[in-house]
Amino acid sequence: MAAQLFEIPGPKAKRRNAFYEGLALLVLAGLAYLAIRALVSNGVFDAAAWAPFKLLGVWKQLGIGFFNNARAAVVAMLFSMGLGCWLAWGLVARRRAIRSACRVYTDIWNGIPVLLSLFFVSLALPALGLDIPDFWFLVISLSLYSSAAIGDIVSSGIESLPRGQSEAAVALGFSEWQKMWWILLPQAIKVASPALVSQLVIVLKGTTLAFVLGGYFDLLRAATVLGAYFSRSLLQAQVIAALAFMIVNIMLEYAATRIETKIK
Amino acid sequence: MAAVLGHWIDFLSGIGFTLGLVALGWIGALVLGTLLALMRIGPIRLARLIATVYVLVFRNIPIPVQMVLFVFGLPLVGIKLPLFPSAAIVLVIYHAAFVCETLRAGVNAIPAGEVEAMRAVGFGTFGVMRDLVIPQAFAAVVQPLGNVLVLLVKNTSVAAIVGVAELTFVADQVAVEEVQTLVVFGGAALAYVILCVALKRVVSVVGRQYRVAR
Repeated sequence: MAAQLFEIPGPKAKRRNAFYEGLALLVLAGLAYLAIRALVSNGVFDAAAWAPFKLLGVWKQLGIGFFNNARAAVVAMLFSMGLGCWLAWGLVARRRAIRSACRVYTDIWNGIPVLLSLFFVSLALPALGLDIPDFWFLVISLSLYSSAAIGDIVSSGIESLPRGQSEAAVALGFSEWQKMWWILLPQAIKVASPALVSQLVIVLKGTTLAFVLGGYFDLLRAATVLGAYFSRSLLQAQVIAALAFMIVNIMLEYAATRIETKIK
Repeated sequence: MAAVLGHWIDFLSGIGFTLGLVALGWIGALVLGTLLALMRIGPIRLARLIATVYVLVFRNIPIPVQMVLFVFGLPLVGIKLPLFPSAAIVLVIYHAAFVCETLRAGVNAIPAGEVEAMRAVGFGTFGVMRDLVIPQAFAAVVQPLGNVLVLLVKNTSVAAIVGVAELTFVADQVAVEEVQTLVVFGGAALAYVILCVALKRVVSVVGRQYRVAR
């Protein structure tokens, strides 16, 4: 549809578009020149600044950092899938009290920043005498938020299913419990799978909040620690971290769109 | 309770910083996001390419990473900005990509016949954009844009990572100082939830007003 928003350009419009394109190219080249000059004059491209990245150990540390991000994201995603399915069940329950209780939960945790709950969990749990590693602080606070989001996603998946599915399950003598877990939820999760992959991207992005914990060696922390050892390479390490997240997230989003076209 | 009441000025200024970040971030993200969306659907190839790459890059780098890079990284190459504007700029950069994607979905909802009708009565590309595409795209995505706004409200807390004294930052400091975790964070969480729920309410009212009958 987007392609129909403008006429197929005629000779005059083609010349005009080419002119704008040339203008944009000039501006872009000028900006790039200024940026590169600033970077070069601050020694960003000096061999010394990139020398640490010839060491295998540096890449290993960065790899461990990213692995820690991915580990926290996967565990938090599993927890929030489990909790989110129960929530989705509650959100479409026949009893009003259950519905509104679940609605309150999702509204609250959808409105609280993960960083706030991360601060809270990391202060409150040790105060209660729970001596657990920072990894679990991250997983708990991410799961609290993400389960609410997944509850919403899966419950709208359930509502999108044809009514006949539910009626057929009742007609065949399935209990309320069997109807939900054998008939409705599996289909709802399939329908919602693109949104669930996008949620995984959100959770993976959220794991970078571990930076504030100080005790969790995630990728951003790994880059910062490298910057402390090789003081000229801080920026380089952080840019590499950003690129790593970017590439992985783009691949996940691509997978989500692929799944979406496959389902339809 | 006394712990919170004794720090009411800190909390008030924290909420003020949060609201300031939300306001600046939202205005900037709407302007930049609309511009990007227009570039993305317009006839100029290079503009389309720039907007596409922008969205791919800035939507997929986690906002804490962008915040740290912008605030701690840029001074290393000689660009020094004050803290609060830097945080606001990062929020604009990140959420503009989301606004652009949302608006593009709205553009896709416009029937091709309406565009053809506008052109048949003599509107040019610019006129079609101004009088048809932008109003209809916004009207079609009021609800999704509201979700981006809520996302922005929550992401203002990321500014706490680099030390902007907004609500999350204040809550953490007061909680550490007073050893009153539950009350302090409960209060801050309540403020965020009220803000988010109120904004959602406003958005749904606005959405009903601009609903396009199709």
